[in-house]
Amino acid sequence: MQLDWLLQPLLTQLNTGVLVLDAQYRVVFFNQFIARRAELDLARVQGNLLEDVFADLPIAWLKRKLDSVLHLQVPAFSSWEQRQYIVKLAHLRPLSSDSQYMAQNCSMLPLTAPDGVSRYICLLIEDATDAYVYQQQLQQSVMQLEHANRTDGLTGVYNRCYWQQQLGYEIQRAGRYQHPLSLLLFDLDKFKDLNDQYGHQGGDFVLIELSRLIDSLLRDTDLFGRYGGEEFGIILPDTGMTGALQVANRICDTVARHKMLYNQQTLKATISIGVASYFDHSVDELIQRADTALYCAKRQGRNRAVAYQPELEGYLKKVK
Amino acid sequence: MTELHFTDVQRDCLQELVNVAMGQASDKLARYLGTFVHLQVPSIALVEAALLSQHFSSRYQQQSATLVSLGFFGDQGLRGETIMLYQLANAGVIAQLLGYSDDAVSEAEMLTDISSVLTTTFLSGLAEQLENSFSYAAPRILSSRDQYFADKLAYTAEQWQLALQVDIRYQLTDYSFNCDMILLIPGEAVLRLRQTLDNILADF
Repeated sequence: MQLDWLLQPLLTQLNTGVLVLDAQYRVVFFNQFIARRAELDLARVQGNLLEDVFADLPIAWLKRKLDSVLHLQVPAFSSWEQRQYIVKLAHLRPLSSDSQYMAQNCSMLPLTAPDGVSRYICLLIEDATDAYVYQQQLQQSVMQLEHANRTDGLTGVYNRCYWQQQLGYEIQRAGRYQHPLSLLLFDLDKFKDLNDQYGHQGGDFVLIELSRLIDSLLRDTDLFGRYGGEEFGIILPDTGMTGALQVANRICDTVARHKMLYNQQTLKATISIGVASYFDHSVDELIQRADTALYCAKRQGRNRAVAYQPELEGYLKKVK
Repeated sequence: MTELHFTDVQRDCLQELVNVAMGQASDKLARYLGTFVHLQVPSIALVEAALLSQHFSSRYQQQSATLVSLGFFGDQGLRGETIMLYQLANAGVIAQLLGYSDDAVSEAEMLTDISSVLTTTFLSGLAEQLENSFSYAAPRILSSRDQYFADKLAYTAEQWQLALQVDIRYQLTDYSFNCDMILLIPGEAVLRLRQTLDNILADF
């Protein structure tokens, strides 16, 4: 059976772009897949250089690939994951893809004419826009999950697990580069009374409102996390004790002056802060020191910031 | 379970074909890269695919390694998958080798490029020796820096019965770099390969 007639209709209807170049990278042939998407007429551009036919090709990159195909007589490949597209072609999903051009997988194959001498290269271009779109959606979901995974659901600050992990990294960094580093641990004063008076929703409201307020007082590099219940921690990179104490006092004052409106009632809250500075400690040691200072701030009458000093340990023993 | 054993004669024959294919590949590469390329005579070993990851985990234990896979299909049921193993410390050398300046080429693209050049150049020579011809699937990176490569290799190897392990050392005038190539061949294709080897031997 004679099958030669098959070739033309197949090339016309093939859902893959077929582009053939000669050894000088002049366009010899392309099928309808490419003609329609690039709005080109083969008869008008046949024999022209590849880069003159298709606009904005990554030509240096492409020629390196084509050179290897010609000289080694082996195929070369390009994946949309590494280079989203080679030839600017329209795709059929203009609504669901954020890219104007078709994502492409491309195989570049060596061809030899029946004369056994003339070399050609065939580029097969497949539409990978679907895969590209799914990949974008997947990446977005992963980003959302990563965000959820490090965020405290109620207040929007970092959750304890992520925050403590970051404290570990910051301690390593401070140790390696001999940078200062300080830690604030704070606790809402008489939070139980607040809950009793306004209900747990009132308590939650105060936690959310104060988290937002305190966050607005911090630098981008500071790390604010919820340690548990009404206790929070703030990591202050590149900050020594003097600076940390200033920050702590500013937070304390701002919170004390801040009026919150809840169910037509004006609420006020105060916090107590323990401040500790890093000096070759482990994560646990640093948290322990800030906690000791926090405990002293509570003992000394609340609504204040107290810096950790070794003498506080003795104070702690006496009151116990 | 298919009996996948090779006789000494078959094994020697395969080694000889691999040598010839490797010689051709080094010649082509030298011309393409415009530098002297020396490919040492590769040592081949036929190993059970299941044992592969054990074998390589000791060699690549200390470094972060990358695996790049490339599938090939030939006539008469001959098919398989090649895996190239790289130590990522070599990435810079590979870039120089391919003539990449520090332009916008990603590490991933560089590794898939070098893999497809090295494997297809060798495989097309081997296909010729076997009086066959191969077509290739696009190379894929199986694992990169972050993943423990032995798990990935074990998982990939699980799907195959026999592995033809080919150690390649590429030595260039100005640089040297080593990588390992593994040819994974399914059981029925091993039988075809043996048949082909017997035919070649019978012609001598």
